[in-house]
Amino acid sequence: MTQNPKPRKKKHSLNIDAPLHVTGRTIYLDDMPELGGTLYAKVYYSPYAHASITSIDYSEARQQPGIIDIIDHSRIPGENQIGGIIPDEPLLAVDELHFIGMPILIIVSTDELNAHKASQLIKLEVEEKEVIVDVEEAYRRRSFLSAPIHFSLGDAEHAFTDCAHVFEGSASSGGQEHVYLEPQGAYAIPQQQGMKIFSSTQGPTAVQHTVAKVLGWSMNLIEVDVNRIGGGFGGKEDQASPWAAMAALAAHICQRPVKLILERGEDLQMTGKRHPYQSHYKIGLDTSGKIIAFEARYLQNGGAAADLSPAVLQRTLFHSTNSYYIPHVRISAYSCRTNLPPNTAFRGFGGPQGMYVMEAALDHAATALDIEVHDIQRKNLLYESAEFPYGQLAEACAAQHCWDEAVESYDLSGSMKKIEDYNAAHQWSKKGLSLMPICFGISFTNTMMNQARALVHVYHDGSVGISTGAVEMGQGVSSKMIQVAAGCFGLPHEHIKLESTNTTRVANTSPSAASATADLNGKALQDACSQIIHRLQDLLRDQWSLTEADELQIDNASAYVAGTDHLMSWQELVTLAFQQRVNLSAKGHYATPTIHFNKETSKGIPFAYHVYGTAITTCTVDCLRGNYELDKVQIVHDFGSSMNRAVDLGQIEGGLAQGIGWMTMEELIYNDKGQLKSGNLANYKIPDIYSVPKEVQVQYLNTPGAELAINKSKAVGEPPLMYGIGAYFAIHQAIKRFNPQAVIPYSAPMTTEKVLLALYSKRDSE
Amino acid sequence: MKTVTLKINGTEHTAEVSPRTLLVHLIRENFSMTGTHIGCDTSSCGACTILIDGKSAKSCTILAVQADGTEIITVEGLATAEGLHPIQEGFHLNHALHCGFCTAGVMLRAVELLEKNPNPTEEEIRWGISGNLCRCTGYNNIVKAIQWASAKMQGKELPSTEPVFV
Ligand code: FES
Ligand code: FES
Repeated sequence: MTQNPKPRKKKHSLNIDAPLHVTGRTIYLDDMPELGGTLYAKVYYSPYAHASITSIDYSEARQQPGIIDIIDHSRIPGENQIGGIIPDEPLLAVDELHFIGMPILIIVSTDELNAHKASQLIKLEVEEKEVIVDVEEAYRRRSFLSAPIHFSLGDAEHAFTDCAHVFEGSASSGGQEHVYLEPQGAYAIPQQQGMKIFSSTQGPTAVQHTVAKVLGWSMNLIEVDVNRIGGGFGGKEDQASPWAAMAALAAHICQRPVKLILERGEDLQMTGKRHPYQSHYKIGLDTSGKIIAFEARYLQNGGAAADLSPAVLQRTLFHSTNSYYIPHVRISAYSCRTNLPPNTAFRGFGGPQGMYVMEAALDHAATALDIEVHDIQRKNLLYESAEFPYGQLAEACAAQHCWDEAVESYDLSGSMKKIEDYNAAHQWSKKGLSLMPICFGISFTNTMMNQARALVHVYHDGSVGISTGAVEMGQGVSSKMIQVAAGCFGLPHEHIKLESTNTTRVANTSPSAASATADLNGKALQDACSQIIHRLQDLLRDQWSLTEADELQIDNASAYVAGTDHLMSWQELVTLAFQQRVNLSAKGHYATPTIHFNKETSKGIPFAYHVYGTAITTCTVDCLRGNYELDKVQIVHDFGSSMNRAVDLGQIEGGLAQGIGWMTMEELIYNDKGQLKSGNLANYKIPDIYSVPKEVQVQYLNTPGAELAINKSKAVGEPPLMYGIGAYFAIHQAIKRFNPQAVIPYSAPMTTEKVLLALYSKRDSE
Repeated sequence: MKTVTLKINGTEHTAEVSPRTLLVHLIRENFSMTGTHIGCDTSSCGACTILIDGKSAKSCTILAVQADGTEIITVEGLATAEGLHPIQEGFHLNHALHCGFCTAGVMLRAVELLEKNPNPTEEEIRWGISGNLCRCTGYNNIVKAIQWASAKMQGKELPSTEPVFV
């Protein structure tokens, strides 16, 4: 790889997409002009969570006006298989139905209304089978989606015998629906050779691969193009693929363009969510409050097929000790098969579920010992070179730095005093406070996925076009890519155009996920830009007869040698290069160095670096109604050296709100028939403006940043979600101020109902 | 089929629609103005918010025929020949959008709010946009953007748009 030119000093705070968004000119999938003859596909899905199909009759539906075709599994020319990690998920059901929402048929029609009418005429007869929704039930039956995973450090078994205090308990966290505001969808257009698919996906290559498999074609016949998506949050990492495959299948069979866009209600029914977890922990401390040993068993409700569950499961273990050093750890995780839609990636990817259990165990210990939980938290924070249970050592560890900075600059003792005074003065309203440290590892834990490519063209008028494998979904990666290229070429960002993410321009992409998109694609982009810059430098050295000692600069839209008359505008330079037949295009590649992980031993260096932070959350609970408000969240966050402060701060605020939603109000309710009862946005509530903290303060902890982060600007997509866990424990604290005897099971989300029950709960003995 | 005639962003449009056609579909499909989005179809999210005769409304829950004879403003009609509407500038400069899918709806709701109450308190702004969901931003910058637009529309001193760290 060639040497990178120095990035430009100026820090842009730009969102390159904003001018489009505010004028309504942004093109999301459903906004694309439709080709003549476009058909619409609608999915007919299982209304049963577990059943065998005895007969299905859609002859009457087929006769409806406007119905072009109704497609079942037998029409699939390739494999009826969409499982990404484990091939255990058919695109269309054959004879077994495993969850409500499992696709059975594709109805293709000239308009959506006819498709809807037709779907009501389909006669499905089944033999119903026993439905398992409960993860513990699945565990009892040893019904697993993949092999269990175990991590260990030290000797937990013996260490517990040395502990002065040992506490055991259970903690459960609920699922979470992504509610990307733009629902899932795809638009497939038959080509003279192959198929072109516009997809609302985080993983263009995953879509390409899945469609190729389903059609029985080679990948080079499938072109996937993603302009941008209206939110993903992990929900479109793997689960955008089935809709694209169905659209492509229908387009192939009908030889016409086919669009498939889910309505919100369909999206909520059919797609997987964040995994609910049921966990059991055992924590041992010495008399000083040091954690000596930790054991846990995590049961993951994976739903009916593996999807990304095995990888999510692994990340739960990676983050099971959160920001703490624990010398003896023994933890196991099980991915359990139930009759829910296959659960999938969601910002944090299993990490938050693990961290929540750790915090519950600490809260348990502190409550039992009648000490402040933050005394235990502080005492056990990670330090430089401390070993994680997976063998990596904490490097540039900012855990204590973030914590101490938060305690000091936000005046923790002052806040606590104020809360005490408030609580003393208010009988029916109580305030609570929590500290939530986070530590999140950056990289795909599947080492292979940590690679990216970029394609750069300098056009002969001097303008630049760049393509990467990154998908813009609101996380600001477009802005960062443009900054990277502008920095390398020394050009104003207006000179750079970012192209759509397209598998024919950049192949074999990893999905935009794991917070690593900007790092991976940005570094590949730097590689491509540097190659062109080096060619231009060689040309100039020749042209101006420069020696090695001459300091040639390409910056500020020009090329020059300091202290000489040598000066050329960017435009002149590019014209010269073109005339001299210099290659003005380049393809860059990047693979994160140093990382590796051995799945057999569960040891290695899976992460390029870790991101640290601490949040102090204050809330007020209405002790008559169980309502609560989040007063403020005060954060110290390790940004490294942020390359785009507006975007990064936005990620903190947005991630926090989503974490708060998961921990407090977003409640997925399934009945024992596996039916989602919170199946629309009127009864599945995501945070509105009143549910987010009234005040969010963020302190920018300027750390040296990691070499493996793009421009030393640390990844920021997922880590802040975990600050939301602080809201859960702040509410706990407030409840205990009202009722010191309260029995509060560790069960998230902490909904108003649960708060009310806890406020008036009593210990059994009383 | 019914004939619907309405003014969108100052231009008169006519279309033949079935009685069940939703206004949002009329705007997006018949008139190809796709800046108005559909996020839920159950009037929960506000992504489809437009102005009908100056009043904000969720166009996914209004029939096209109900809008016959009205004057509609969508996101495409906010900017004028002179430039962006202050609310657009405010959203841009304050990074009040991430994926952008909710943005048109929130802005139009804010335009109505500022028209009725040019100098809203923070609490009034929060109340004003409490019917709009945004899954990305956490709302803080949306509040700032509306405050900024309010200042701009009244010729007051403009608040800083730099990201604020403690
Ligand atoms: S689409 Fe109209 S409110 Fe959601
Ligand atoms: S910016 Fe994505 S929903 Fe608001």
